[in-house]
Amino acid sequence: MTRTYSAALPIAFVVLRILIVVNWLAGAAILTLLVAMPHEQWILKSFGLSPSPDADRLILGLRAIAVVGLVTIPLNHAILKRLLAMVETVRRGDPFVAANAYRLRTIAWVLLAMQFLSLVVAAIAKMITSPAHPVTMDAGFSVNGWLAVLMSFILARVFAEGTLMREDLEGTI
Amino acid sequence: MAIIVKLDDVLHDRRMTLSQLAERVDITLANLSILKTGKARAMRFSTLDAICTALDCQPGDILSFAPDEEGRD
Repeated sequence: MTRTYSAALPIAFVVLRILIVVNWLAGAAILTLLVAMPHEQWILKSFGLSPSPDADRLILGLRAIAVVGLVTIPLNHAILKRLLAMVETVRRGDPFVAANAYRLRTIAWVLLAMQFLSLVVAAIAKMITSPAHPVTMDAGFSVNGWLAVLMSFILARVFAEGTLMREDLEGTI
Repeated sequence: MAIIVKLDDVLHDRRMTLSQLAERVDITLANLSILKTGKARAMRFSTLDAICTALDCQPGDILSFAPDEEGRD
């Protein structure tokens, strides 16, 4: 059987490795913002606010969103690491293994968790936003996001069934 | 597994080695060895056909059913 060459695999391999590094850099940046940088004056100045209960609420909300952002870093890493491992199995020429089915299922659960975190971020943003200082976040309910979760769970199941079929086929003389 | 492969007995009766059978049925010696030792999970009709033709026997001469004591495979 001839194999068709696809550039997708090497590209995915490189992109995933880059994303893993970028993810940790983003994590380091968020952590720095949370721990070292957030001088209240600096935040107030960037939003053009003067010290007030509203400003305190805004800062608290932004910190809470940063904490959620920090939580997503290991979640992102869990997804990227598993995707990379899956790409590796394709490179080795044997992707239909039980390990990949487990990886996909874990990815689906992590994606589900991230959808809930996105709802949390949207809720916080809604609490701290005001007509004078609107806070817009690219978060909240996303049909595409939930579809991705559903698709991942389905694909994980398909993979698990495919793996069993493959094992049967391998044992067939 | 409740299915027992008796290929060894038939080969012995026919005074044939596994290598000779492998050549006749065009199946690798490794695969025939898996079949002979009962480690195969399934068998294609085409394989059964080829073996029966080569050994001039019936499927029942090669395979038999012996229920497990626990009643499961």
